[in-house]
Amino acid sequence: VALATKQRQWYFGLSVNERTVVHQWPSFFSFGSPSTFWAFLWKYSFIIPSVFARPPKNLRNLTAMASTEPPAAVTPPSSKPNLLPLASPTIITPSAAASVAVAPTASSSSPATPSVATPRPIPSDAEVVHIPSYSCWFSLGDISECEIRCLPEFFDSRSPSRNPKAYKYIRDSIVKQFRRNPSSKITFTEVRKTLVADVISIRKVFDFLDAWGLINYSPAALNKPLKWEDKDSKSSQHAADSPAGPSLDSTPPVRETSKRLCGSCKSVCSIACFASDKVNLASSFHCNGIHTIKGNPSAAFCAIASLEHCSTNLVLIVLNQYDITLCARCFVRGNYRVGLSSSDFKRVEISDEMKTDWTEKETLQLLEAVMHYGDDWKKVAQHVGGRSDKDCITHFIKLPMGEQFASSAEFGSSINKLNQMKDDNNISSSSSPSKRLCLSPLADASNPIMAQAAFLSALAGTGVAEAAAQAAVTAVSEMGQGEPKADIRSLHGVQGLQDASITSNGSGILKSVEEAHSGVNPKPEEKEKVNVEEEIRRVAEVQMKQIQEKIIHFEEVDSQIEKEWKQMEQMRDILFYDQLNLLKHERAIRKSGQQAAEGVRTQGDYVS
Amino acid sequence: MKPLPSTSSKTPVKFRMPTSENLVPIRLDIEVGGQRFKDAFTWNISDPDSEVSVFAKRTQKDLKLPLAFATQIAQSIQTQQTEFRSYKGQEMLTGEKIVPIKLDLRVNRTLIKDQFLWDLNNFDSDPEEFSKTFCNDLGIEDPEVGPAVAFAIREQLYEIAIQSVATARESRNAKKGRRGEYSSISSRSTGAALDLMKLFSNRYSGVRKRKEWDVFEPMVDMLSNEEVAALESMVERKPR
Repeated sequence: VALATKQRQWYFGLSVNERTVVHQWPSFFSFGSPSTFWAFLWKYSFIIPSVFARPPKNLRNLTAMASTEPPAAVTPPSSKPNLLPLASPTIITPSAAASVAVAPTASSSSPATPSVATPRPIPSDAEVVHIPSYSCWFSLGDISECEIRCLPEFFDSRSPSRNPKAYKYIRDSIVKQFRRNPSSKITFTEVRKTLVADVISIRKVFDFLDAWGLINYSPAALNKPLKWEDKDSKSSQHAADSPAGPSLDSTPPVRETSKRLCGSCKSVCSIACFASDKVNLASSFHCNGIHTIKGNPSAAFCAIASLEHCSTNLVLIVLNQYDITLCARCFVRGNYRVGLSSSDFKRVEISDEMKTDWTEKETLQLLEAVMHYGDDWKKVAQHVGGRSDKDCITHFIKLPMGEQFASSAEFGSSINKLNQMKDDNNISSSSSPSKRLCLSPLADASNPIMAQAAFLSALAGTGVAEAAAQAAVTAVSEMGQGEPKADIRSLHGVQGLQDASITSNGSGILKSVEEAHSGVNPKPEEKEKVNVEEEIRRVAEVQMKQIQEKIIHFEEVDSQIEKEWKQMEQMRDILFYDQLNLLKHERAIRKSGQQAAEGVRTQGDYVS
Repeated sequence: MKPLPSTSSKTPVKFRMPTSENLVPIRLDIEVGGQRFKDAFTWNISDPDSEVSVFAKRTQKDLKLPLAFATQIAQSIQTQQTEFRSYKGQEMLTGEKIVPIKLDLRVNRTLIKDQFLWDLNNFDSDPEEFSKTFCNDLGIEDPEVGPAVAFAIREQLYEIAIQSVATARESRNAKKGRRGEYSSISSRSTGAALDLMKLFSNRYSGVRKRKEWDVFEPMVDMLSNEEVAALESMVERKPR
């Protein structure tokens, strides 16, 4: 059945083109063996084959016809040489028929294709437990190769408690426990409470069984949306745990906001997609041969044309370059074009983002609200209407110019116009980051006015920006000392000019901005800087002069004081001298007085 | 089967659980906003740390507990893990260690009382196997008993292992100080262990004395609902 007969090795990694070889899939998983391909693809079962959702109407006939193999419509597992007969009599694999129409083909083809297991008689009173057909290798009596592959840690004797016997014990106990009550889902915690083993081993086996639909699998459950976060975490856990995992899961789910339709079955993508990055169909580095699994894709497509199987829980595949969207089924079947391989497809997650697509109007509202309310996200959410505040925040962050808008608070109408321009011009994402890069050094300047000026000049054309800058410079120089006023006024002048320019200029603005941005912006900025520097210098000079004068004045005062002090000293000396003289005179006079008195007496004596 | 490690009685051995696999008993007792969550299970210490949060979330979801439990559970597991790991590099003396393990637990409606001897030197021992055989032999229908028994055994082994680390450290310090008294200290330190010779004091046969039979016999009892309720209320009243 398979056309690819050459051995092919699967490489993990992001995409074939990138040649990132993270891990190598063992070579025995060549695509010459569709069963193994099927097995490893289904291993992580992010794809729920709701094709198996409805058990066939006539269970007995169909199981008798094709008990162990799905019909040819689901072609990968058409022949499974390593299929083990199911030991438990209570298991019936519903033959994989989406519609009854397929069943007849199955019945006709199945006798033709070599079947490994003979149809088993079903006991009439047995409880029917459904397991998906891709798990029909399972048997309670043995351990199959699939299990060894998926849970290697139990079989590589690395740790003594993880051995095949322990694995079998855990597995059988879990399965038996589930089958006691197949209609209700068994939880991990219930299981691990009852098993004598370490909880992580139990969890691994439980996840494995859950993923393969051997437990907690019921057809009714398929109509309900599954918890994709759990699946994702499980699959990522699997990818982490077992190194031999396929490449698909190593790519994280990518969220797309646009609605996606399956390319082959024309239905809306519901949960996740697969995207391929492959640019060129022809250049396939790793495909040695043409990878088509089955013969006629279109025939297979017709058979599955119903919407039903794509509506619930399926993964759609998107091929970005070629706009090919494939649902999980088509992807798995290889309904993609010649030359593509499954590793070319990247999984694209479509979850809540799709439901809450941000229309342009909503984006505009968001931006307006942000400007009005700033950080008050509750009010923003109210203003936008219909979005929670968290949604608003996340979307705002995702906007390419979001941060710019956050810093500048004056651009009401200009931002809206910018948005319109953006939408009109279909600017590729590359230009906005470059513009952002250009703006960021200036936007980060601590001077918010500078940031605004830079931003405005980026918006406007080069000539306009230059003229505005010159006007600003002249205004500043004229004002002289009154800088703040000058700045504001000049800025208003600039803004007025530029608002006019925005309306007048058309789509050429942005292109010219990108070219001339680097040239224009430094000039007005430098002039402004120079002016500011001069003013500062002048001020400093004046102040210095003042200080100098004061110093001189103080010096004069100082010298004067010295003089006065000297004078004072002299006067003191004089005074002292005078006092001394006075004293001398006094003494002299006193002496002379005494002498005179004595003289008089003696004279008196002479007389008498 | 791994060959038994040939450790002489006095040489210290790197710390590990004296069982074939380094599984750590983890006990959870978390109370958040009036809701109490008690649990006990074995954890493989060699598993990556990412498992902790995954397990915590799973448990919280499966049991429909409020979200705060997930972080608490993860924290509790991690602290116990690090505690175990802190012992990792250290040595422990195993010596002639046959320890009595006592089981005295109540799981749902089943009451189990038992006592047996466990060889601490046997690093191939497997409490899980023991527990499975135990439940099979005694016809215990409640599947939750098995893990509880294994957990109880592990917990006790863990405690003993920690003790032997402490005693090894003591003896090492003592060894540095006084060489002569080393042997006496080490023999003193194996307090919990029974000397083989003392155990089989009956030199003529390896069979236990009759009076000891009752002690070592497993007892499994099924309680009725009222008794269970009574016991639970008693237990809850005690810590208050």
